[in-house]
Parts: sequence; structure tokens; C-alpha cells
Amino acid sequence: MSDITAPQEIEPTALGVDNRKLAVWIFIASEVMFFTGLIVTYIVMRGRSTTGPYPEEVLSVPLVAINTFILLSSSFTMVTALSAIQRGDARGMRRWLIATAVLGLLFLSGQAIEFTTLFRDGASLSSNMFGATFFTLTGFHGMHVFVGVLWIGFVLARAFRGGVTPDNHLAVELVGLYWHFVDIVWIIIFTVVYLLRM
Amino acid sequence: METQHTKPNYIAVFIALVILTAAEVTVTYLPVPRLPILIPLSITKAVLVVLFYMHLKYDRRLFSGLFLIGVFGALAVIISFTLLFGPPLLDTVK
Repeated sequence: MSDITAPQEIEPTALGVDNRKLAVWIFIASEVMFFTGLIVTYIVMRGRSTTGPYPEEVLSVPLVAINTFILLSSSFTMVTALSAIQRGDARGMRRWLIATAVLGLLFLSGQAIEFTTLFRDGASLSSNMFGATFFTLTGFHGMHVFVGVLWIGFVLARAFRGGVTPDNHLAVELVGLYWHFVDIVWIIIFTVVYLLRM
Repeated sequence: METQHTKPNYIAVFIALVILTAAEVTVTYLPVPRLPILIPLSITKAVLVVLFYMHLKYDRRLFSGLFLIGVFGALAVIISFTLLFGPPLLDTVK
């Protein structure tokens, strides 16, 4: 049975872990604080708009619930891609990575639909405190999903050239860490922004 | 030292995430206080992802420590904002 976390072909390092993986975890720790700042700012400011539209008038839970399901599914396909390459199934890994990228793009499409609807209803970055903090928060999250899709694209390109093997699949693990983290951020955003609003 | 592990059941984790999300949405249709129910559900989902999909349950403690530094920093931000602006959720959540 293969190890599910061991980095491969690791250079000897002071901490005994791969520096690239260490870097990704440090980056994630900083991102936790980055998104906390945005989320808390949203919580504080959303109730302080002096003019509408107000969040309870314009936010749509059903659409976003579908988007949440899409992003949760993409985390599953991502972890399945890692699992596949650990079993030595390079073809399966590529398929699951493609599925993850497609789900990421679907999420972004859903967000584009949501934003378009919100713009039509008069909410924007400059409409009021709600709009400013909402679009900053969800926009930055969407940008992270977009970066994740690009990152998956780079890993896929490498995988198609045979650069990702059962003995050397750290690239998949690292993009997976980032992707799951972005999923976690959405889990919190979905609850705090969409469900706790009324 | 890295050790050999059985893989977590990724499908079970996914099903749990979907059920918890459905539970969260359901709660918003019920005449119950949302905050004390939704926040624990949401944190449970986040912990499931970080433990099993990001493998912190099985990985080196170093990574868990790094992640927790971020979480403690986040808590500091939340507490600071609460002290500065008042209980943040209470103004809009009934």
C-alpha cells in the first residue's frame, strides 16, 4: 500500500520535509489570515449600508448551493486524482484532474451568473458597504479558483509529457492542497455570507 | 518518520460534506437560531476537508502546526474585530 502523504524523491532538508510542500503550507497559513480579514470585514460592514440593495434582498441561496455542491465535488475529484497516481494509474489521474478543472470552471460560470444578476439588481463594488465587501470577498475567492484551474492546467501539461509518475507526484499533491484550501474558504463563505444573513 | 497508512474513505468524506451542506440549508428554513447550529456545521465540514482531503490527520505534525498558526492568527483577527465593532453577527442575524 502506498503512502498517502510521503513526498517523492525528496532532497535532504533541515526539517526533513520537501521544501516545496513546506512552502505551500506556509502560503496556506497566510491565506487563512488573508481570507479571515476579508470575511470578518464583510460581517462587520454588510449591516452598515445606508442605501440598498441589501444582502437579504439580492443574494440567492439556491444558485449558490448548486455552486457549493460543484466545488465540494471538485475536491473529491482532486483527491481521487492523487489517489489514482499513487496507485500507478496515470491515465486515471489525468482524467480526474481534467474533471476537477472542469468543475472549477463550472463554479466560476455559476459565479459569473450570480454576479451578473447582482449587477442587474444594482449591487456592485461601489454600490454600498455590502457590495464593496461582498464583491471583494467573493471576487478574491473566485480569483483563487481561477488560479487553481491554471495550476491544474500546468500540472496536466506536465502529466501529459510524462512528468508525473507514481514515484514523483508531488505536483498533484501540492495543487491538491491549494485546491482543498480554496474549497474550505468557500465552505466558510457559503455559511457566513449566504446562510447566516437573515 | 513517514509511515504507511490505509487511505481514508474519500467517498464517505464527500457524502458527509454533502449531507452537512444539505443540513445547513435545511436549517435556514426552520424556525431555529441559525448561528449556534450553522457555525459548528460549517467548521465540521472545514475540519473534514483539512484532515482527510489535505491529509493533515496522517501527515507530519509540522504542517498541522503551520496551519494552526494561521488559524490562531484568524482567531486573533476575529476577536479584535469583535472588540472593535461589537458582536459582528448580531446586527443582522436574528
